[in-house]
Amino acid sequence: MESKVLKPVLAVYVAAFILFLYGPFFVLAILSFQQGPEGGPQFPIIEWSTYWYRHLFGFTPPSRIAPLPVGEALVRSLTLAFMTMVTATVLGVMAAQAFRRRFKGKGLVFYLIVLGMMVPGVLTGLGTSLLANNVIGIERHWWSTAFVAHVVYTFPFAFLVMLAILNRFDNSVEEASWALGVSPVRTFRKVTFPLIFPGVLSAMLFAFTLSFDEFPRTLFASGRDQTLPLAIYGTFSVEIHPNIFAFGVMTTLFSFALLSVYGILMALSVRRAKKTAMQEDIV
Amino acid sequence: MTVDTIRNNRQKSFSQLLLAPGVFWMLLFLVAPIVMIIYVSFWTQTTFSINSTLTLASWKNFFSSEAYVGALWTTLRLWLIVLSLTFIIGYPAALFVGLLVKSKTLATVLLVLCVIPFWTSFLIRVLAWRPMLGKEGAINIILQKLGLINTPIEALLFSELSVVIGMTQIYVVFMVGPIAFMLGRIDRNIIEAARDLGAGFGRIFWKIIFPLSLPGVVVGAIFVSVMVLGEFATSGALSGRKVNLLGNIIVTQVGSLKWAMASVVGVILTFLLAVVVAGFLRIVDLKSEL
Amino acid sequence: MNQSEPVFRLENVTRRYGDLTALDSINFEAPRNEYLSLLGPSGSGKTCLLRIIAGFEKPDEGKVYFQGKDITSLPAHERGIGFVFQNFALFPHLSVFENIAFGFRNGTMNVDASEIDKRVGEAVEMVGLAGLEDRNPEQISGGQKQRVALARTLVMQPKLVLLDEPLGALDANLRGRMQTELRMIREQLDVTFLHVTGSETEALAMGDTVSVLDSGKIIQTGAPDEIYNDPSSSDVALFLNRFNLFEGKLEKGSFAGPFGEVAVKKVQPNDRDMYAIRYDRTKAYKKGQTVPGPALPAKFLASEYLGSSIIFLFETVDRKQVEIDHHLSFGDPDEYKVGEEYVLSWDPAQALVFGKEATQ
Repeated sequence: MESKVLKPVLAVYVAAFILFLYGPFFVLAILSFQQGPEGGPQFPIIEWSTYWYRHLFGFTPPSRIAPLPVGEALVRSLTLAFMTMVTATVLGVMAAQAFRRRFKGKGLVFYLIVLGMMVPGVLTGLGTSLLANNVIGIERHWWSTAFVAHVVYTFPFAFLVMLAILNRFDNSVEEASWALGVSPVRTFRKVTFPLIFPGVLSAMLFAFTLSFDEFPRTLFASGRDQTLPLAIYGTFSVEIHPNIFAFGVMTTLFSFALLSVYGILMALSVRRAKKTAMQEDIV
Repeated sequence: MTVDTIRNNRQKSFSQLLLAPGVFWMLLFLVAPIVMIIYVSFWTQTTFSINSTLTLASWKNFFSSEAYVGALWTTLRLWLIVLSLTFIIGYPAALFVGLLVKSKTLATVLLVLCVIPFWTSFLIRVLAWRPMLGKEGAINIILQKLGLINTPIEALLFSELSVVIGMTQIYVVFMVGPIAFMLGRIDRNIIEAARDLGAGFGRIFWKIIFPLSLPGVVVGAIFVSVMVLGEFATSGALSGRKVNLLGNIIVTQVGSLKWAMASVVGVILTFLLAVVVAGFLRIVDLKSEL
Repeated sequence: MNQSEPVFRLENVTRRYGDLTALDSINFEAPRNEYLSLLGPSGSGKTCLLRIIAGFEKPDEGKVYFQGKDITSLPAHERGIGFVFQNFALFPHLSVFENIAFGFRNGTMNVDASEIDKRVGEAVEMVGLAGLEDRNPEQISGGQKQRVALARTLVMQPKLVLLDEPLGALDANLRGRMQTELRMIREQLDVTFLHVTGSETEALAMGDTVSVLDSGKIIQTGAPDEIYNDPSSSDVALFLNRFNLFEGKLEKGSFAGPFGEVAVKKVQPNDRDMYAIRYDRTKAYKKGQTVPGPALPAKFLASEYLGSSIIFLFETVDRKQVEIDHHLSFGDPDEYKVGEEYVLSWDPAQALVFGKEATQ
């Protein structure tokens, strides 16, 4: 391979590529420290300040710029993401567990589940609201119609994660438990579940973050009360101010906090194995 | 015999019990809604209400309206442009990460770097392009500072170009991931052997590397296509309502309670997706490749 | 249950996987308190048989009895039959102690904590794991894992323990030691071990009784020496890996093979005509020497030193390999030159003859 030329060229290219991925966000982060309330969402920076962060939390004196309507939306989004996470993970674990056996129509069921992540949100959203609005005749809410649409979207992710984990699972450990007189249900609780727990954690993380950030399905299916992405979308049509940038930085930090919690939980669940492996090295 | 069947049935029914909730959920909240879209597209729409008398009115309406058919072409055009761009921009990056980087750690770090932006809200990522592309945005300032232009380029924002840029940046990672994965699985010995036989890089690339990475390209293309065809937020936020995709039409129609027309567009979009995905799956038999 | 009743019994058990019949109408039983080994080549259905007795799989036809009761439809955890896996299948998230206590803690038996401590302690003692109770499975060696797997099963006091190639994952050295240990542990308890293996030496060394399974059928059951000296068919002789087998034609009390025609007295029924002579009863002679029986010309290929004996490899004209096992207690072996022609012979009275004739 002519890696002497190709590799450095591509290395520079990849650096530019990553800049392309991150660039807009850096600009957004810089502008979130724009002076307020007169400073607009563009360069140059009049003066560095944390005004828009204080504005976000309502610590600034009232001005012509209304605070972002995110308080209640945040609570709704967190609740919805939590509900979705639990439901999608439970469904995902159950379906993946069933997939360990052979049964008729397995391929069909697989595609049915995976379809949920492949169909664009605009279609699921439209269909769900049609069903609720024109057929059943119920009002749409974030906790009802939007919730089921979120699960349709996140359940396939949880399912695929669990399928990957269970594919590598050693069945004989469960059989050993049965042979010791332990019922399948208790075996699942005492053997299978502890061993697949890291996978369950990943499935939960997937479901939570996907639901928390979900926009197109929610737009159609949530009715009057807005979730966080809807609140952000609402500000798009009116004039934007750097407070939305500050908010973007905050939500990103929140995501990283969530990711850290996941990382810590993962580390804890594998730490014992690592520790013992080290002890063995010493012995 | 009877005892066995009872026993097998019990196992079977336990399996079904585990599967039933998920399957019902998907049938009820995924399949039924899509069937509903098809059904409602034939309903009769009046100004303020809709009733289930079947008619082709909405369909005729769609195909006789320049704006609607135009949206269909815009959607197809944007899809082709973004798909090509994600491939052209993404492939070299995937080639570097998946094949040229020797250290596994570095490859992982680079992939993680590509994924991290996804933990920022999708809408914020779209919005971040505004201060970047605007008249007083970062790109115009930089270009002016470099002396390349005198007056800021206004066409950067609120145009089809800004939508293309935004979508490419957001979706390119879905192209890079699958390709890098397939490239990572190539046995390096094959490439070494080809080189020992005197093949140059170009030849090795077209004869070995590219064919082996094709399943990754197809998976990436399916991801990108599904997402771009169903888009409406990026075009809404970055085009200043100048670019109308099928998704935007659905949103406006639902907003004005024109359910039948929204459904017609929904059916067209579903059909488009089915054709595109089926077409890609014909290129490569994914089941045998993955 | 009385002493003479078998601890388990399979009645016409058949198991199919699609078109493949893994077990073909098996009838099989084992007495109480015995070491039974089941020898079968890979693909013979031996693991499937074990899994059906354990209840991990269901037979398509037939019945399984355990201690006189029909358990065909009983799920695995209600059977009270122990199972030891080739890969040990220890619970990786539990300590050695908790692995052994697992059945008590999670089963239907109500055993109080002090009783668990006592019984687990005894089991640990019995398999020689004292001091390792707090270790995790990944911190102990293969042999120790095997002992934990055994202790975990035996502490539940089953009447039947199924061992699926239990020594397969151990190295040769350890395998020998574990063989003795397994037998000794079993003798302390009133329990039947059904030990499945693909190794003929292991099967013969371990079992009070040895059964041979081939293509989903039990083809012979007997004491190890019976199997060894008197295989009931050419297939059994083949699995034992101790016989030179020759194809030929049996007619009117005479077997025509690559070594000429030999008169035979006793013939065992078989699906084709075969002539078998044990490795250690085959001898090589220089050309021109008088031979005690049939004469089979063969070229010397190589020898293999095994400690107590030497294996000599010869090749006949039709490219078939013939082995000679010379036990060193019978004195030093003759020297053979590689590539040179010799004549192989044996006492025809020691040969086994299998024939289609005898089937009728």
